Amino acid sequence: MASKDKKTPNTNAKSGGKKKEVKKETGLGLSNKKDENFGEWYSEVVVSSELIEYYDISGCYILRPWSISIWEAMHDFFDAEIKKMKIKNCYFPLFVSPGVLQREKDHIEGFAPEVAWVTKSGSSDLEIPIAIRPTSETVMYPYYSKWIRGHRDLPLKLNQWCNVVRWEFSHPTPFIRSREFLWQEGHTAFATKEEADTEVLEILELYRRIYEEYLAIPVIKGKKSELEKFAGGLYTTSVEAFIPNTGRGIQGATSHCLGQNFAKMFEMNFENEKGERAMVWQNSWAYSTRTIGVMVMVHGDDKGLVLPPMVASVQVIVIPVPYKDADTKAIFDACSTTANMLSKAGFRVEEDFRDNYSPGWKYSHWEMKGVPLRIEIGPKDVANNQVRVVRRDNSAKIDIPMSTLVEQVKDILASIQQSLFDAAKQKRDEHIKVVHTWDEFVEALNQKKMILAPWCDEEDVEKDVKARTKGEMGAAKTLCSPFDQPELPPGTLCFASGKPAKKWTYWGRSY
Amino acid sequence: MGALRFHSLCLFLSTSTRAASAPTRLSPLHHHSHGHLVFKAKPYTLASRDLSTQVTAEAEAPENIEKHPKSGQEGFITPRSHDFNAWYADIIANAELADYGPVRGTMVIRPYGYAIWEAIQDYLNAKIKETGHKNVYFPQFIPYSFIEKEASHVEGFSPELALVTIGGGKELEEKLVVRPTSETIVNYKFTQWIRSYRDLPLMINQWANVTRWEMRTKPFIRTLEFLWQEGHTAHATLEEAEEEALKMISVYKTFAYEQAAIPVIVGRKSRLETFAGALRTYTIEAMMGDRRALQAGTSHNLGQNFSRAFETQFTDENGQRQYVWQTSWAVSTRFVGGIIMTHGDDVVIVPIWKKDDEKTGVLNAAYSVEKVLKTAGIKVELDASEQRTPGWKFNFWEMKGVPLRIEIGPRDVSSGTVVISRRDVPGKQGKVFGVSMESSILEAYVKDKLDEVQSSLLEKAISFRNSNILDVSSYDELKEAISQGKWARGPWSGSDAEELRVKEETGATIRCFPFEQPEGTKTCFMTGNPTEEVAIFAKSY
Repeated sequence: MASKDKKTPNTNAKSGGKKKEVKKETGLGLSNKKDENFGEWYSEVVVSSELIEYYDISGCYILRPWSISIWEAMHDFFDAEIKKMKIKNCYFPLFVSPGVLQREKDHIEGFAPEVAWVTKSGSSDLEIPIAIRPTSETVMYPYYSKWIRGHRDLPLKLNQWCNVVRWEFSHPTPFIRSREFLWQEGHTAFATKEEADTEVLEILELYRRIYEEYLAIPVIKGKKSELEKFAGGLYTTSVEAFIPNTGRGIQGATSHCLGQNFAKMFEMNFENEKGERAMVWQNSWAYSTRTIGVMVMVHGDDKGLVLPPMVASVQVIVIPVPYKDADTKAIFDACSTTANMLSKAGFRVEEDFRDNYSPGWKYSHWEMKGVPLRIEIGPKDVANNQVRVVRRDNSAKIDIPMSTLVEQVKDILASIQQSLFDAAKQKRDEHIKVVHTWDEFVEALNQKKMILAPWCDEEDVEKDVKARTKGEMGAAKTLCSPFDQPELPPGTLCFASGKPAKKWTYWGRSY
Repeated sequence: MGALRFHSLCLFLSTSTRAASAPTRLSPLHHHSHGHLVFKAKPYTLASRDLSTQVTAEAEAPENIEKHPKSGQEGFITPRSHDFNAWYADIIANAELADYGPVRGTMVIRPYGYAIWEAIQDYLNAKIKETGHKNVYFPQFIPYSFIEKEASHVEGFSPELALVTIGGGKELEEKLVVRPTSETIVNYKFTQWIRSYRDLPLMINQWANVTRWEMRTKPFIRTLEFLWQEGHTAHATLEEAEEEALKMISVYKTFAYEQAAIPVIVGRKSRLETFAGALRTYTIEAMMGDRRALQAGTSHNLGQNFSRAFETQFTDENGQRQYVWQTSWAVSTRFVGGIIMTHGDDVVIVPIWKKDDEKTGVLNAAYSVEKVLKTAGIKVELDASEQRTPGWKFNFWEMKGVPLRIEIGPRDVSSGTVVISRRDVPGKQGKVFGVSMESSILEAYVKDKLDEVQSSLLEKAISFRNSNILDVSSYDELKEAISQGKWARGPWSGSDAEELRVKEETGATIRCFPFEQPEGTKTCFMTGNPTEEVAIFAKSY
């Protein structure tokens, strides 16, 4: 297995093992620039920062500790929040029988082309092939039907953390589009539409917080168009992020109100307080490891990853800078003291005492991995009872006396978190273009903008826009209609159809 | 975080429940093979894999068992002495631990059951990190060629492999295996990640689902898909690997004792029972309520067997290429099945009122008690639903196994007190009236009682275990002990063939050579030769 001669994976691994090799042999640094060659830069940075490793199967990636720790930070926040909402965790099987999968017609039409099928166990063929979940609506709802009898069984609010598989053929991209990914999927059932509506927005707010408070990425909350909504659902809300380098919108997470459509298909009825049969109202909502990809794309730079302190498993890296003739032991001791002090104060700190790498190499290494703050300690620092602190986000260097280190580190980390968000927001806002006409729209699209335009909210018009913008870069589509609507003066016309506009909607190319 | 504990109801594991009597006859279910209970990590070693348990052709739910007329009805639990199998199924269903999955052999883990798994995860994940391991996630799909490269592996695993051949509407070029365990991928990547001694030790863990197309299944105990953690480590020396394997089995042991109140026996597997490919396998063996042994966690010192197969080498300090020394260790949702107990909620509050004018006062008191206990970090559930009577609620929460119940009625409200009932002490004896609602008093009282419940459960389980392990000094004594459904402990230096003979003749296998050994040289009860060690024999799941 895995003998040396077979190191480079056979498919899709063009930037896999190879790039790793390059790094090892030629030292650190990215060979691609974010602004010049974004796609290549991305593929390189996710590997060089040790977030992921490519694998023999196209579209499947190994999530290394550096990315799992980010996933865990988000998990810890979100899981605690949904528990406060009395949502309980559970686990439904990976395997779906075809009968169940096909119960809901629109739903299956949306997912069927992407399903992976188990057809054999050992050497024998299965009588009926079994699907691997692309999402779990159809796996879970027959049980909801069984478990929900009366109004006292409602609301039923469950969530699961698991892997799902979507066998897509479009170009796989680590985190952003992979054939297997990790996510949480929440599925809830209520007696009334009002309760469902309320929860949709509560969850969406948690998603906003994951992006804005944890990943320092500004997002727009809004509602998806009919064309873009979840197959089989009533309406879909989402948080939408934007990648300035490619001018593409990216759906960050979705919170769907499923209405009663699945309830009908799966016979989820209950007896209400008046003794009448009624159908439940449902929601489903999810965010996935895609979040990590968005973070890399938004914050990363030519030196590598840039991690927001809130999700960094190492917030501060302490590096000794010994000189010839200097008291090396004193320097190392100062490093340990510093690390211990910060660790006790609740920061996530590591020291890099490896003796086979130079301080310079270590600086690059931890910059590549995106650690928010670096502390350097050399002879002069020891003599002055201070440390040198270097910010990853703007390279600013500050000498800080040990006496105020804890407070200042706290402030600096908070400041990094905030300025990452501010910088990302400023860049995103610069890329938002308000248009009123088709010509303005096309121009803005060519300038890779995220476009806010008045729209008549007709499906045919969206399809038409898609058709007219089809090209190498992919067609433009609606991203969302923001909840925060600018004023729409009477008489405003749809940019695409010239009909009276009903709302402002974000448009753009997307992932 | 406060100590996370399971207040084991011991429904399955000990005698401390109301349905205390041990089954008079064993359900056929107990004969099912599950040699790879927790860590079947090595298909590669099929030869030994199934030796530990007896494979029978019995069906999952035998038709010939006379069902209790009420079995399967909501809220009814078949007495354990009547039909262990039906009892287990009733508990799983009525305590809402799990449901049968849509595909044969799969299982839906319901919130109450999943919370047990989460508690296991919380504890073990913290310990795994404390001991220097990092979490990763490897893909679920493994190219068939990976598995195939090791002839013995594919031979061992293939009957149980789920194969994906169609994806996105197209026939795949290469069949993909849905991971049954991750050794192949892990070693494939270790080979790339490990270059020199500076990269060692490499210590990772993942929480994942794994799939084995089993023919006979039982909720939690054996399902087509299950959840587990699998740790994989690589070290520069044999000593380090050995230390790691011992450290992790000790983590599992501490967990079993301190959190789950399961007095497992820790020991080393016999050569026959050792994970093939491993130098040594360490195990924790739990005694179930029916006195069968359940292998609840294993830790393997893999030596260099896998690194040689996978070419996983490093350059040592002298510039020499060396194969790494490895370990692997796992605990799965099987542990939940072994536990079947209360978990998450420590306390349930049942408000009691008759007249509407009493309702507000009682509910307010209940909410404030809930808040006091929650603030104190105690897991508490307030059952304020109006559709069920207090009596129904008492039964329901007893069935779910919540260790403490707090009752609050109008009279309690006026006296500022509550009534507290212990789940493990039935009737009036377990009931204390007039416990003050004052937050510091109540908090201290509840914490104290929970500690008491925990230690009393563990004590009961230990005494149950001890009274069911017989020391034997001859083969006849062993046969007698096993036929009584007990565990037999005796000096052993027998050969593999003699071990197999014991299995064939009695159905018992060597569960382990316990770490705790009596002093002095003994005489093997089978061969009459002198030996240093005693072994424990038992029938197992």
